[in-house]
Amino acid sequence: MLVKRTAAAVFAVALLYPLAGLFVPVGPWRWGDGATIADAIRVSLVLTAIAMVVVVATGTPMALYIARAATRERLWWQAVLLISVLLPPLALGILLSLAFGPHALGAFLERFGLKMTNTPLAFVVTQVYVSIGYYTLGAVAALDGVPRALEIQAGLLGHDRWSVFGRVTFPMARLGFAVALSLAWVRALTEFGAVVITAYYPAGIPVAMWTSLENFGLPAVMPLLVVFLVTALPLPWLAHILAQRRLRRA
Amino acid sequence: MLEAHVIKARRRFTVDVTVRIPSGESCGLFGASGAGKSTILACIAGAEDPDGGRVALDRLTLHPPPLPLYRRPIGYLTQDANLFPHLSVAENVRFGLTKGAHDGHGVWIERLRERLQLEAIWNERSDAISGGQAQRVAFARMLARKPRLVLLDEPFAGLDRHLVRELLAAIGLWRKEFGFTMLVVDHEADILERLCPRAIVIEEGRAVADATWGELRAKPATALLAELLAPL
Repeated sequence: MLVKRTAAAVFAVALLYPLAGLFVPVGPWRWGDGATIADAIRVSLVLTAIAMVVVVATGTPMALYIARAATRERLWWQAVLLISVLLPPLALGILLSLAFGPHALGAFLERFGLKMTNTPLAFVVTQVYVSIGYYTLGAVAALDGVPRALEIQAGLLGHDRWSVFGRVTFPMARLGFAVALSLAWVRALTEFGAVVITAYYPAGIPVAMWTSLENFGLPAVMPLLVVFLVTALPLPWLAHILAQRRLRRA
Repeated sequence: MLEAHVIKARRRFTVDVTVRIPSGESCGLFGASGAGKSTILACIAGAEDPDGGRVALDRLTLHPPPLPLYRRPIGYLTQDANLFPHLSVAENVRFGLTKGAHDGHGVWIERLRERLQLEAIWNERSDAISGGQAQRVAFARMLARKPRLVLLDEPFAGLDRHLVRELLAAIGLWRKEFGFTMLVVDHEADILERLCPRAIVIEEGRAVADATWGELRAKPATALLAELLAPL
């Protein structure tokens, strides 16, 4: 047990080693522009939360469909999801700006006042695109862990599909859903490459870090890194804590 | 009356069997392992979709089109108890009762609890009980709703004889009391005989005989059936 725990501790130390960079002398830490940083935190948290609502609302039914599809069909859907995950962020940003640009869907959307560049909408859409593949693939894996026989039994015991999902499928897959949501949250919140192309404004934390680095150098980035960790970590951690608690009433 | 004509393609053969059971009566499906018996039950329950045929219970059409599972008045029990592992034994047993029905079923649930000896494990987590206990819980959960049709797919496999005897007696008693129709699959003739006066014999997806146990023993329709019915 001690050996295993020590090995796990070594793994954790290696994983967190990059944080040692926080203690490297780079000169006295300083805040860049306080108002801008506060705005960046607000933009990141609020817009990422909105993106997560969209991701969960659309990704969950898709994951349910894929998880219960025949093997061959399921592989096709998974390939589609993998494409969205495998695209380099910068490439995805360029593709999004073209696909939603004035020569494509953007012109149509602008008729309804929906501007797809440098707007909160563009920010949210980009975050949805970068994270939904991670969430859906994770949710499919979580649903794979729920035996179909249990869902059939719940149906025959008089529960419709929503009730079966709420009382059997989700409670049994909740840890996997929490992991999927955490990955999606972190992926969206930390997104830089795609967002910097589609939504440089309003600037979220990653873009604010970049501009702080450009304008004020490393001493201005270090406090932002700490702020970023403090704001990004609680939600996924909370999701894990909630998921691991036994549900007394399913 | 259960009227089921099930057509379902399997890897080696196509199951094509007709089952008719008058309301309140019971019938066995007997045959060697892999003959297609469980497929027939799964198609009637709705766990699998038949490729063709028709399934009806009294005036309720179960297939086609496939009736949603939650609207089927069916209790379906297999070798696996399929308890919900995140719920307690009590929550599993009450799972099929609607909110309003909880109170009305109180006495009935209490009887099930006593008869199936679930008192000691009532508040245990269902993933922390033995296989025999789990199967008793599954019986209680299935019967709690008082289904009109009970489908049993070898639910006694792996249980000790004493427990099997207890369950057989309880099922017989409740069937008389509530009059549910019952279709039972088992490859052990003595178990089937205790529950069903007649059996349909299945071989490679086809019914080769439909008779009482006396008739089946007196004149086995096939050599395989004779072998299956012969004492060890």
